[in-house]
Amino acid sequence: MTNLLDSSPFAPRADADFLNKMNEICSWHLAGCPEYRRVWPDWSETRRLEDLPFLHVGVFKRQLWKTAAPGIVHQRTLRSSSTTQATASMIALDERSSALQAESSAAILKELVGESLRPLAILDNSRALRQRGEAPARITAAMSLRFLASEIHFLLADDSMNWDRLGSVLAQHRQLLVYGFTWMLWQAWAAAIIPEPVRRLLANAEVHFVHSGGWKKLEAARVDRKRFDAALLATVGPASKVTEYYGLVEQVGVIFPLCEAGFYHVPRWAGMLVRDPWTLEPLVGRPGLLQFMNVLSWGAPYHSVLTEDLGRLVPGNCACERCGQRFELLGRVPKVEIRGCANV
Amino acid sequence: MSEKLHFFATPYRCTAAVLPFDLEERLQQWTGLRRKMVEQVPEPFTRDEWAYLGVFLDEANLRKPFLESFGETRDGSQARPTALIRPRGLIGIWLPNNVSLLGPLTLILASFSGAPLWVKSGSSAADLTTTFVDYAVRNLPAGTLADDLRQRVRIERFDRQDPRNSQMAAEAKVRVVFGSDAAVNAVHALPHPPDSVAVSFGNHRSEAWVEKEALTDDRVMTLIRVFAIYGRAGCTSPRRVVMLGGSNDDARALQEWLVRLWPKAVREDVPMHMAAANIMELQLALVQGWQAIGTPRNGAVLTTGSLELPEPTGLMSLPVVSASSDEAIASLPANIQTIGHCVRHPDDPRWLEMIARTPAKRFVPIEGMHHFGPVWDGGNYWRQFFEEVSLQP
Repeated sequence: MTNLLDSSPFAPRADADFLNKMNEICSWHLAGCPEYRRVWPDWSETRRLEDLPFLHVGVFKRQLWKTAAPGIVHQRTLRSSSTTQATASMIALDERSSALQAESSAAILKELVGESLRPLAILDNSRALRQRGEAPARITAAMSLRFLASEIHFLLADDSMNWDRLGSVLAQHRQLLVYGFTWMLWQAWAAAIIPEPVRRLLANAEVHFVHSGGWKKLEAARVDRKRFDAALLATVGPASKVTEYYGLVEQVGVIFPLCEAGFYHVPRWAGMLVRDPWTLEPLVGRPGLLQFMNVLSWGAPYHSVLTEDLGRLVPGNCACERCGQRFELLGRVPKVEIRGCANV
Repeated sequence: MSEKLHFFATPYRCTAAVLPFDLEERLQQWTGLRRKMVEQVPEPFTRDEWAYLGVFLDEANLRKPFLESFGETRDGSQARPTALIRPRGLIGIWLPNNVSLLGPLTLILASFSGAPLWVKSGSSAADLTTTFVDYAVRNLPAGTLADDLRQRVRIERFDRQDPRNSQMAAEAKVRVVFGSDAAVNAVHALPHPPDSVAVSFGNHRSEAWVEKEALTDDRVMTLIRVFAIYGRAGCTSPRRVVMLGGSNDDARALQEWLVRLWPKAVREDVPMHMAAANIMELQLALVQGWQAIGTPRNGAVLTTGSLELPEPTGLMSLPVVSASSDEAIASLPANIQTIGHCVRHPDDPRWLEMIARTPAKRFVPIEGMHHFGPVWDGGNYWRQFFEEVSLQP
């Protein structure tokens, strides 16, 4: 276990502690994962974050990576839920890392939504829970909130909203936690016609919406955060809130909440770099590829991942008073047309 | 439209062609356009694509289809033709999304057939054919070529489910289909006139064969440019470089040579997503057991290793392998199209013997790998644009 998890997620930290732990985890994976060793054969411990080894996010789509070591028992495979990509990422989950990841996400989520128990309504189908040996990322993200749930309700049935179920929950409870992927929350809730009896119940409810998954699908519909939040809050009662966070399957357990000042925050047991796509030089204040690191992942080398998301590391302190690194998310790396012959 | 007789002859045969234009005038108009083309590069052409198109419009190159198919031009007063050719009729050309220059190039060659053209371009990609035709119509002098491009060339964008595919197939006397094997089969399976002709440009791939002793800085730079223009997306792009008779050390030396000259040969950065993808491809190649190196600024991934390793899949990944002649032939894919050569004596008869043992369709210097012409994918498709009348005086 790591003592970085002993304090609250956005408390100050000694960066040397994080670097030491990252050196340790890199050496661990080099010793236990032959494929990782082939990618980084000459690496040795470093004093700079930018010299730590990393894997490109795409390699998890092509191969299931595993680190064999004493105390590591692999359980299930986490699969990304992205509907915009043809191939899903595969992350081998293990007991040791899962415990740390659960501890991490719980600490961050408590900081975001408080600790009071209330019903959790998930904009998904309960069928997704029943896949053996595999954990779809969307449902994993939703279930990371279950420790705050007095009861759990799945609101989608055959991809349509089950308003009756929501109505029956609201008939008994005034406070509600709702989780959904951003586009699903828009499509199934914010842009939907809510039946009048449920609308009346919602108007008196205090709902805390939590969403993640990105805005790509909503860009085409020209839905931005302001419109999204306004549409959701218009359906519910006073004191309701909308909270967004960024996360990726390849950094399971690490949640990067969006603060009221408009920045995503990195918890103290994680780290990030922004790299120039052409030179891989670290960038500060300029946009580039986001690389994320964490000290939670021991069963496979997804502790340091270069993504295809663009962002900007923002220097200085945040108005929200969270400590540590913060960043702006600028979307996916833009793709341009590949020309050639017909045969690819 | 007035039709004109033109005559062509080889030492053994004289052919009369009835064409709805004057050949010399058409040649002059295309080459005149070429001179104009140096002034600007219209979007969405890249500078390289536009430059290649300009080179393609060289008069000697434009004469090649007639020369290679029917012989030298002849004065009609002395001709004793034994064959008459005339345009077969409507030519339908199917271009999929990522086909770039092949559209304009095919259109230019087809313009010498005198047949009307109906071109289906990709539904979602940049349409170079329309851009080129619009440019040509704007910049050509008044004449039959401009008139033909305006009135007898129909270019439309639609997808593979569109009913116009069936209409094109039903009306075309020649179906020229670029695409995957499945797409080619799908078009030819549509109802079509029984006397129509199918021209198929399906799934092919190419590679470069080199000898250590033939390599120079200039030739290595050429190899880089030929690869870098399309990466592995071109059917004529080298998907691997085979160091014939070389050792693994020779292959590694060429890999390092390529890395060293890459920035000199390729001045522009790859797009951001490609640079990012190359990081992934480098790591995957290393996992597979390749010795992989990224070129500066993540422009490409160069790998060396044994012939048995799984082929790298990255668009800008180029493996360099050493092999004996027999190993090179044995490891060729069945759909090999072009073998680009960089060898000491390409005219040595042993190359002819080697190529005869392969299914390759072209054996050309590496600098000519992308050069499109009337003979392609194993046949003279351009000649199929005409029907032939046998004459016995």
